[in-house]
Amino acid sequence: MRALGVDAQYRRLVSASGPGSDAAARHAAFRAGRLAILPYLPGSCAWGLVSGVAMVKGGLDVPWAIAMSMMVNAASAQLAALPLIVAGAPLWVIIATGFITNLRFVIYSAAMRPHFAHLALKRRMTLGFFMTDFTFVRFMRAAQENTLPATHRDSWFAGMVSMNLVTWHVSALTGIVGASYIPTDWGLEFTGTLALVALVGPALNMRPAVVGAITGALVALLAHGLPYKLGLFAGAIAGILAATLTDRFRPRDPSAAEAA
Amino acid sequence: MIDPLSGIAMAAVVVGLTLSTLVTRTSFFVAGAKIKLSHRAEVALRYAPVCTLAAIIAPDVLIHGGSALDTSLFNPRLVGVFASGLWLIWSRNIVGCLAVGMLAYSLARVYL
Repeated sequence: MRALGVDAQYRRLVSASGPGSDAAARHAAFRAGRLAILPYLPGSCAWGLVSGVAMVKGGLDVPWAIAMSMMVNAASAQLAALPLIVAGAPLWVIIATGFITNLRFVIYSAAMRPHFAHLALKRRMTLGFFMTDFTFVRFMRAAQENTLPATHRDSWFAGMVSMNLVTWHVSALTGIVGASYIPTDWGLEFTGTLALVALVGPALNMRPAVVGAITGALVALLAHGLPYKLGLFAGAIAGILAATLTDRFRPRDPSAAEAA
Repeated sequence: MIDPLSGIAMAAVVVGLTLSTLVTRTSFFVAGAKIKLSHRAEVALRYAPVCTLAAIIAPDVLIHGGSALDTSLFNPRLVGVFASGLWLIWSRNIVGCLAVGMLAYSLARVYL
């Protein structure tokens, strides 16, 4: 009797740490991810709203504005393509513009790759497709600060991404449908820029990061005249190079730093 | 040339732009464990978030709207960034920092 009781207890323990609790950990990671992006959502919301309005005011029919917003999922590429579409530019020019405006996401996917390399291809592609500037930077900051969950990092990211996606689509649709009622001269979109500042600020705690940020900003300003938002990409690459060089020449060991 | 009123052309645009999103964002994710980057590249990528955001933010704040650099203290966007940065350092509250930044920006636009 006693042996049976122990056995039953043991089985309960095993099942508690088996698939059941694994699912629980997955859900916990998903919920934590949703909370992690929450304070930055006003930025997504403002950008969604303003880009929705811009697409309709830029000359797209409402159904096409909705279709584009739902499928393309890339505000900067949509807004860069918009004047070309309206002007009747060749198809390949429009699509090339989309690719070039999205180039920074190649760097993002390279940076996140090691965290998700173990997942199934479909899962990796889904997480990648819905990544945004906000969710990428928030994830990398958590990785650097060691605040990611020990397991199910993909669920943590999925939690962020889903929250951001819903906010984005609801606000973009609101912008498209209510284009003529939403003021465009209040500078609402500046909320998005401020949210980026709030994301990047706490990461400026080491010399290489500061050098990289300053270099990136300067190059982006100097190259602002380049077409297709290439100035942004040039700034990012220059900043990363500067940060890496600074990183290589910085003292590694704390004791070595004191000696120097 | 695409005719913005033609359904087929617009459908091609939407599909093409969706592909541009898919290909760029999943590029290295698709490679997954099949590739191994050098240690130096991994170090470089650690700085990708900070550098890219700086390159997005700087023109947005200092050039926004025009083509000339506006580094004057009367640039409302610069005022907004300063205000939200100070609030962030002081309170560590993100939502508060967005609100304070927008308030300072709006006041600067009206009064400066």
